[in-house]
Order: sequence, then C-alpha cells, then structure tokens
Amino acid sequence: MKLSDIMGNSGLALYAEIALVLFIVVFVAIVVQIFATRRSDMDRQARLPLDDGERPAKENKPVKENHHD
Amino acid sequence: MDPEHLMNEQLESFRYDDAIVRKFLIATFVWGLVGMLVGLLIALQLADPAFNLGISWLSFGRLRPLHTNAVIFAFAGNAFFCGAYYSTQRLLKARMFSDLLSSFHFWGWQLIIVAAALTLPLGFTQAKEYAELEWPIDIAIAIVWVVFAVNFFGTIARRRERHLYVAVWFYIASIVTVAMLHIFNNLSIPAGPLKSYSIYSGVQDALMQWWYGHNAVAFFLTTPFLGLMYYFMPKAADRPVFSYRLSILHFWTLVFMYIWAGPHHLHYTALPEWASTLGMLFSVMLWMPSWGGMVNGLLTLRGAWHKVVEDPVLKFFVVAVTAYGMSTFEGPMLSVKSVNALAHYTDWIIAHVHTGALGWNGFLTFGMIYWLLPRVFQTKLFSTKLAEAHFWFGTFGMLLYVAAIYSAGLTQGLMWRAFDETGRLQFPDFIETTVKLLPMYWVRVLGGSLYIVGMLLCGYNIFRTWMARPKTYEEPVIQAPALVKRAPAPEHAPAGQPGNLWATFTSVRWHRKWEGLPVTFTVLTVLTVVVASLFEIVPTFLIRSNVPTIAAVKPYTPLELAGRDLYIREGCFNCHSQMVRPLRHETERFGEYSKPGEFVYDHPFLWGSRRIGPDLAREGGKYSDIWHVRHMEEPRSIAARSIMPPYPHLSRQKLDFDGIQSRVDAMSMLGVPYGEAVNHAPAIAREQAGAVAAAIAEQGGPRGLEDKEITALIAYLQRLGTDIKKPTLTLGDAPAEGGR
Repeated sequence: MKLSDIMGNSGLALYAEIALVLFIVVFVAIVVQIFATRRSDMDRQARLPLDDGERPAKENKPVKENHHD
Repeated sequence: MDPEHLMNEQLESFRYDDAIVRKFLIATFVWGLVGMLVGLLIALQLADPAFNLGISWLSFGRLRPLHTNAVIFAFAGNAFFCGAYYSTQRLLKARMFSDLLSSFHFWGWQLIIVAAALTLPLGFTQAKEYAELEWPIDIAIAIVWVVFAVNFFGTIARRRERHLYVAVWFYIASIVTVAMLHIFNNLSIPAGPLKSYSIYSGVQDALMQWWYGHNAVAFFLTTPFLGLMYYFMPKAADRPVFSYRLSILHFWTLVFMYIWAGPHHLHYTALPEWASTLGMLFSVMLWMPSWGGMVNGLLTLRGAWHKVVEDPVLKFFVVAVTAYGMSTFEGPMLSVKSVNALAHYTDWIIAHVHTGALGWNGFLTFGMIYWLLPRVFQTKLFSTKLAEAHFWFGTFGMLLYVAAIYSAGLTQGLMWRAFDETGRLQFPDFIETTVKLLPMYWVRVLGGSLYIVGMLLCGYNIFRTWMARPKTYEEPVIQAPALVKRAPAPEHAPAGQPGNLWATFTSVRWHRKWEGLPVTFTVLTVLTVVVASLFEIVPTFLIRSNVPTIAAVKPYTPLELAGRDLYIREGCFNCHSQMVRPLRHETERFGEYSKPGEFVYDHPFLWGSRRIGPDLAREGGKYSDIWHVRHMEEPRSIAARSIMPPYPHLSRQKLDFDGIQSRVDAMSMLGVPYGEAVNHAPAIAREQAGAVAAAIAEQGGPRGLEDKEITALIAYLQRLGTDIKKPTLTLGDAPAEGGR
C-alpha cells in the first residue's frame, strides 16, 4: 500500500474545504482592518517615502518628528 | 500628541550605503543589454534559420532559455535589488544590516548569472522554464538568496521607523515566496555534476513547474516591481500614493490570490480539470487587485500631469504602469479556457509576456535608473534629451514588437483550428502556419532593435553621468530617533465602549502591534502562500484517482533515456510541445490526445509551452529512422521552408554510453522500475543502438552510426507516444508485456 492509497482513502476533502473557509475569513478580517484604520494614520504612512530623513546633518537642524503631520 | 514618545526621543546618526545601489544599477544595465541582444539574435533565428550560424551552442534551443533567464533574473533581478537597497534603507531609516552581506549578495548573484551564461549555451538544463539552471547553480542561488534575506530582515530589525511602508511588504513577500518556489520546484536527484532529474514526474512535475513558473512571474516580476512602483512613483511625482489603503488592499489580494493561478498554464492538458478551473477562477479574480494597483499608480500623478510632459522619469513610469494594467488584463483573459484554447502554444503568449517585460519591468527600471542616476552619482543627469529619445525609441519598439507578435499568435492559432468545407484541416501541413508568420517575425526584429537602440542611448547617458561623478562621494549623515522598543501609547482613544469587541479589533493597537512584529507579518505572509500552494498541489500527489495509470506505459530504455537527455540538451522542448490537447483540430493533426498516465516516467515532463514546430507527443513511428537522420542533418533538405536549426553534430559526436548508467540509477532512485537495466544500462543501450544503426544503414543511410548520439535521439523520438498503441492484457493484476 502506497502513501497515495492511504491518503486517497482517508477522506481529507473536508479539510480542504475548512482551509478554504479559513482562508476567506482571514482575508475578510484583513480587509475590514484596512478600512478601519484611521485616515490620519494612513496619510502619515503614505508620506514615508517622501519623509525619508535625507537631510544632511551639517544643517544642524533638529530632524523633523515624522510621526505627526 | 505623544509627549512620552517625544521625550524619549534620542537622535541617532547613520549613513546610507549607496555604493551597493550603484553596483546593482550598473549590473542592471549591462545584463539588460546582454539579455536583450540575445533576444534579438533568437528573433533573427526565427525569422531566418541561417542566423543559427551552424554552431550548436548558438542555436535557438540553447539560447532561448539564456534570453529568458537573463532578462528575468539578471536584468529584472538586479533592478529589483538596486531599487530595494536604495528604498529599504530610506524607508526603514537604517543602513543595510551588513555591508559584507550586501557585497556577497551582489557578487554572488553576478557569478550565478555568469554560470548561467556559460552552462545554458553548453546544453546543461533542467528543461523547466525559468528554472533551467542545473542543481549546483540552484544551490548557489538558494545560498545567495538566503544571504539577501538575512541582510534584509536584519535591516528591518534595526529600523528606526516603526511602520513598514507598503513597498517593504512587497519586498518581504517577494523574498520569502521566491525562496519557497525555487527550492520546491528544483528538488531533483543529481545524475552527474551538471545533470539531474526532477523528483516529480509528468502531471505532478507540470503542476509544480507552473506553480513555480506562474509565481516566478508574480513574485519576481510583479510584486518586487510593485514595491518599486509604490516607492519611486511618489518620489518622482513628489506626492504620496493616491490611496495608501488601496495599496495595502492591493498587496493582500495579490498575496492571497496569485499563488492559486498557476494551473491556467495547463488548460486542456492532461492536468485534472478541477485544478485548471481553480486556476482560471483565481486568475480572473486577480484582475481586480491588479487594476486597483494600476489605477492607484496612475492617480498618484493627480495634479501633476504637467510634470509628465517635462520629466522622462514620469513618462517611463506612466507607460510602465499602463503596461502593467494591459498585461494584467490580458493575463486573466488568457486564463479563460476558451481563449486559452486559441492562444496556448502560439505567439500570443510571447506578445503578452513582452508587454510585461518590455513595458512593465523594462520601463519601470529605466524610469528608476534615470531618477537614481543624479542621486547616486551625485551629479546632474548627463542629458534629459537622450532620456526622452530613449523613451520614444523604447515605446515605438515595444509597440511594433507586441503588435506584430500578437497578429502572429492570432494568425497561427486560427490557422491551426481552421477546417475546410469538407471537414478536413485547412492547413494540414504544419509548416504553412509557421511560414505565414515570417513577415511578422521581421517586424519583431525591427521593434526589438528600436528598443535596444533606446537602451544604448541609456547606456551612453549612464556612462557620461558616471564620468561626471565627484572624486569622492558624499555620504551625508542622517539623523533619526531610535525606535522605542515597545509600541507607543495609542494616539487616539479607542472608538466605542471599552470592551467592545469591534472597537478593540479596529483600534490602532492591533495594527501597531503587527507592525512591531515584522517576523509575525512575514510568517503570516508565508502561511498564506504555503496554504494556497498545498491546497493546489497536494491532491495530485496524494489522491490516486487524479493520475490514472496505464498498464502499457513502460519506462524508457537506457538508450531512449539518453536520447531524451539529448532532446533536453538541445532545447527541443522550446519549440516542440509533447501534449496533444483533446481538441478536434489537434487530434486530427497530431493523433490521439495525451493522457495523464502516459507521463508517469517523465522526469522532468516535456510538455512544452510553445509550438514553433509541430507537437511531438505522437511522433513515434510517423517517419522512418533515415528520415530523422536526414532531417536532423539539414531540416531544409526535407522541408524547404523549415525554420528549424540544423543538428549535424548529432551524427558526428559519440554517445557517452558509460554515462548512461548513472542516469538510469538516478531514475531508479526516483522509483522508475528499471529492473535489470540498473546494472547493465550501457550494454543494453549499445545493443539497441546497434539495431537502430543497422536499420538506418538498411534504409540506405550512412553506416557506422551505432556509437553516435543520433541513434539515441532517434530511439527516443520513435518511442514517443507509442506505448498506448500497444495491445495490453486485461487491465489489473497481469502486467502487460511492453518496452522494446
């Protein structure tokens, strides 16, 4: 008896369906979370590439606190 | 707002490593040019076989994988590393974890490319698309990739910005998924220093390969470049991405869906139908996030469209993102079975991937290079005009290429399926459908040349900009506050009642906690792709009924196995499929459709993905041995208009009979029942070779071929697809007589 015989006869199809449901649930949870995040947080995060701290130190100015808009 | 946070803030000083960015930038250009020049050569070879130059290691079958590997892994790969090293440091406000690892990554990757450029023309190949490189190089790739990952995650661990910008997410997903794809698709048993057999066979190998092949496109050519887009597009437009929310949604939907779509490369093949339907459904769903991403990229230019007129960087980006939209619209469309029935094996697919490679990957890379040049070489770009010229040459070259190859694909697809009024194939002679394409192949040569002219302009611009660099590069000191170990207190009071589940779920903390845990994030991403992969792959391995066995199908004889390896060495699978689909015009043209059980001893599978020449699944017995000898010697002596390269060296080079033993041994390790051949493979092979050579001599062909490679190849070709024609005893307990 090969592994494929054992697995083929053990009725695992249900697990595949459970996995699919879990998969979708996790995905929906992520989507909800994305839409629940505050706009101000999102805006700050979106600006990260533009606020990359590339400011020569010789200017000797305090680096802007990026966490607040 | 957060006084505690402000008070604890302590500025740290550091420098970014741009030397590594400069190195990768130059490598991107150099390998890009090499890969595209090889592309031009093989385009010429298809337009006129004289360009095969009669040199075995410059023939189409050997060079086509070199072209695809160079463009994907050398050009796009180096471009990804270049942009990732630049943007990651700045997004995380940290120098790369280790300069030594960065350097190892760079030189290791370049060495791998050189190894590929040497081994592929010499015929060392695993015969799996975009995974052709043999096992020692595969191991080197895995090592260099892990070094890159350590360096990358080390940088994340030392970052000074809590939130991981979405570009970094795309990089993480790319790094972990590519590692997984690469390792599992390349599992093989070595049969020599540069020879191995895939541990999977037939249907399973095909499914693994296209799970890999599709996701290599997804996680090597799409997600890394989306990361680059989400960083460099806002930089070049000087405004944040249109919707950050949409970009995160884009990320998760791609990660969730892409991995399922692989089977759409195998419609109407011997793959079980449920698997290809699943692949189709997920491919069609992918259309939405892809277009969401495209719209997000283009709308980032809101209110900045006037800049596009002046700035070649933005011009390149706009076309790149548009090409992303076009190819991700086309991809789902091609995955629909009825469209696929027409498009598969034709040039339509070639047009599709070139929209992606030339438009999306190429133009995004060029835009990025022009944006980076003045910054990393700390001088002005030598010439904006030249960059503009590059843009127009590239755009017109690409349009010519794609338009010509589209029409070639449609033409050939329609000719294959055309029946005349008497119900017979309208173009029964395959070569008619190929010759028809030659004018379009010449237009492709023209389009590709224009694109390369653009690249040469780019090279000159890079060179002159580099010449104007300062004597020593400035390395400005950057200051940023260290990351506070624990997440700062929430900035907003949680909405709703305390204890309210919804409020907890949607509160900022949840998200913050996540961002503080890039490892968790990575594990989640990995889980997502692993679960999807298992769901797709495991059933064909474990459920017997998915690959019904056929009693008459026997292993290849030692000589046929050696012939099959020659077929692989010469890259025959690049032009000839071995898969007759259950479509009427195919069974009319080629014979009985292919069954899954016919491939159980095929390590690796050789179904192919393009028919430049006819399908060979039922080649056995179609022509005499002498026909094959003459055809290999000079295809045009048999079919005047054939575009197949000549293979005269097969009739001259001696077959390595003694080397066959290790191949048979490797095969039997994989469970192929070789019986007594395990000990006497060379002797058995010599005997069969003698018989084949005698038959050739008898038919009036040249004598003395019994120790030449051609006999092995002919033995293999004559065996192809013949097993199921043999009479079998009753299916079941009594094993059928078979083999030769």
